[in-house]
Amino acid sequence: MKVSQKNDLKELLKREDIIIEYLQEAAKIGTWEYDTINQKVTWGQITTKIHERPLGYQPTLEEGILYYREGLSRDTITRVFNNALENDEEFDEELEIVTAKNNIRWIRTIGVPVFKNNKCVKVYGLFQDIHEKNKAVEEKLIKQQQFKSTFDHSAIGMALVGIDGSWLQVNNSLLKMLGYTRKELLQMTFQDITHPHDLNKDVRLLSSTIKGERATYQMEKRYFHKDGSIIWALLSVSLVRNEDGKPLHFISQIVNISEVKEAEKNMNKLLEISQDQNTRLLNFANIVSHNLRSHGGNLKMLLDIIETDKPELVRDEMFPMLQSAVKNLNETIGHLNDAALLKIKTIESLEPVNVYTTVNKEISSINAWAHKANAIITNTIKKDLHVMGVPAYIDSLFFNLLSNAIKYRHPDRDPIITISSKVKKKEVEICVEDNGLGIDLELHGDRLFGMYKTFHKHKDAKGIGLYITKNQVEAMNGTIKVESAVGKGTKFLIYLSCEKN
Amino acid sequence: MKKIDIACIVDDDPIFVFGAKRIMELSNFCKGFMVFNNGRDALDSLSPLVISGENIPDVILLDLNMPIMDGWQFLDEFIKIKTNKKIVIYIVSSSIDPADTEKAKQYQNVSNFIVKPITVDNLKAILKEITEDNT
Repeated sequence: MKVSQKNDLKELLKREDIIIEYLQEAAKIGTWEYDTINQKVTWGQITTKIHERPLGYQPTLEEGILYYREGLSRDTITRVFNNALENDEEFDEELEIVTAKNNIRWIRTIGVPVFKNNKCVKVYGLFQDIHEKNKAVEEKLIKQQQFKSTFDHSAIGMALVGIDGSWLQVNNSLLKMLGYTRKELLQMTFQDITHPHDLNKDVRLLSSTIKGERATYQMEKRYFHKDGSIIWALLSVSLVRNEDGKPLHFISQIVNISEVKEAEKNMNKLLEISQDQNTRLLNFANIVSHNLRSHGGNLKMLLDIIETDKPELVRDEMFPMLQSAVKNLNETIGHLNDAALLKIKTIESLEPVNVYTTVNKEISSINAWAHKANAIITNTIKKDLHVMGVPAYIDSLFFNLLSNAIKYRHPDRDPIITISSKVKKKEVEICVEDNGLGIDLELHGDRLFGMYKTFHKHKDAKGIGLYITKNQVEAMNGTIKVESAVGKGTKFLIYLSCEKN
Repeated sequence: MKKIDIACIVDDDPIFVFGAKRIMELSNFCKGFMVFNNGRDALDSLSPLVISGENIPDVILLDLNMPIMDGWQFLDEFIKIKTNKKIVIYIVSSSIDPADTEKAKQYQNVSNFIVKPITVDNLKAILKEITEDNT
C-alpha cells in the first residue's frame, strides 16, 4: 500500500467519524461505557452534553447513577443496571435525569452487558435526549386528564353523544339535572327525552353539523326530567371528527335555564300588567281630555253668560274670584292634556322640519311681546337646515324657549336672544342663548324639567313649559340640556337627528 | 249684519244647550232654535224638513260624543240627503284629539271645528263667516 493511499484512508476514517458525530448530534444520541474491571465510566461527547457537563468530564458509576431523578427514575436505573451486571440482561428505559445545571430532562438509556467467562466485563450503551417528544406526550396526557376532570366535575351538564344520538358518556351534573342514573341514561338516546316540539330543530341542526354546514350549534330546548317535568336547557353542541374528517361523536354542554325561563315568564307577565296599566292611563287621559274639559268649559260658559246677563252678580266681590278659579281650573286641565297627549306620537311619524323658518315663525308670533321688552332676537340658523321632528313639537319648543327667554329677562338690561346651530355628524345641536336672569342649576338642575316646578318668582311662571318641551324633544328621539349662570344668562342646547341621508 | 233664522244645536249636555242658547240670545245670533239631544233625534226630525225645503236650519252646532247616534254617524247620514240650501255645520266638541280635527276636515259640509267652551266671540265669528259667504 502506497503512502498516499494510506493517508486517503485515514482521511476517510476521519470523515466517517465526523459523519457519525454529526448524526449523533442530530439525533441527540450519545454513547457510554462501563468497564467493570477498572470500574471506569466513559461518556461520549453527546452524553456529556445531555448531562450539561463540560467535555472530558468522566463520572464514577455512583455519580452517574445520581444524575437520575430521585424516585422512580433512580430506582429503575439501579435495578436494571444491576440486572445487566448480574444476569446479562439488556435494558432500554425512558427515565428522567437532573442535569448538572439542575434541569429535568427525559432521556432514553439503553444498556448492553458483555460477559466473559460468566463474568460481566463491560456494559456499553446509548443515551438519547427524548425530552421534547416525551413532553408532547405528557402534555397530551395532561390535556386528556384536564378534559376528564372538567367533564366529571363541571357544574354544567356535559355529554359525549354518538352520531345516532345515544349517550356515550355523561357527567354527574347532567344526571342530576335529568334525574336519571348513569345506567338508565346510557341506554337512551337524546331523542327519547327531548320535548317533541324541540326535536325537529335539534335533529336538523345536528345533521347540518354532520354535513359540515356548521361547526357548532346552540339552541334553547326542553328535556323531560325522569319525573316528567320539563327542564329548559341551553344546549351547545360541537362535533369531533377524526384526522380524515369522519364524524366521531358530539360534545354537548347542557345548561339548565329553567329558572331563567321562569323569570322571563314573570317578566312578560309584568310587561303585560304595565301595558294594561298604560292603556288605562291612556283611557284616563281621554277622560281628562273629554269629560273634565266639558265640565270646565260649561263652567266658563255659564260665567260668561252671568257676566252679561246678571250685572248685579258681577258686582259681588266673589265673582272675580270664581272667574279666576274657573280660569285656573281650565288651565290645569289644559296642562294635564298636554302632558297626557305627549309620547302618544311615535318616532315613526317624524318628518323633516326646516329649523330656520320655524324659528322665524315663532319669533314673529311673540313679536309684540318681544318689542315691548326691547328684545333683540337673532336667528343665525342655516336656511336649509332640517331636523327630523314633529312640526307642532318644534313650533312649541321654540315658542317655549323664546317666551321663557323674554319672561325671565334681566331687569337691568335689554334681552338679547340668539338661536344658533351646529351640525355634528348625524346630529344637529341647536342653541338658544339669552342674557337673562339665569337659573341656579346647583339648586334646581335635576328638577328643571319637572312638572310644576318654577324657579323664578315671576307671575306667569307655571312650571309646565319646560316639562312639555323636554318630553316633546324626547318623543322626537332627541335630548335637551341646559347651561346657566345666575345673573348672566341661560343656554338651552337641543340635540335632534338630521334629516335622513 | 244679516241675522240667521234658525240655529240647530245637537248636543246631549243640557248645560251646554242652555248656555249656547243663552249666549245666542244675548248676542242676537238667530231668530229661532232647534235642539236635539242625540244624532238619531236630529236626523229623524231634520230629514223630512230638508227634503220638503221648509224650516231648514241655517247652521247646525254638532257635538261628537252623544248616546244612540254620535256626531260622526249623524254626519255620514245627513250628507246623503240632497238639498239646494247651504247648511253650515260646526262641530262643537270638548275633544282636542288631533284625529278628530283631521277627520272633520274630510267633510265638505263641516265649516269648522270649535273646541268647547263656546263664547260670544266664537258666535260672532260664525255669524260673520255665514253672512259673508251669503253675500
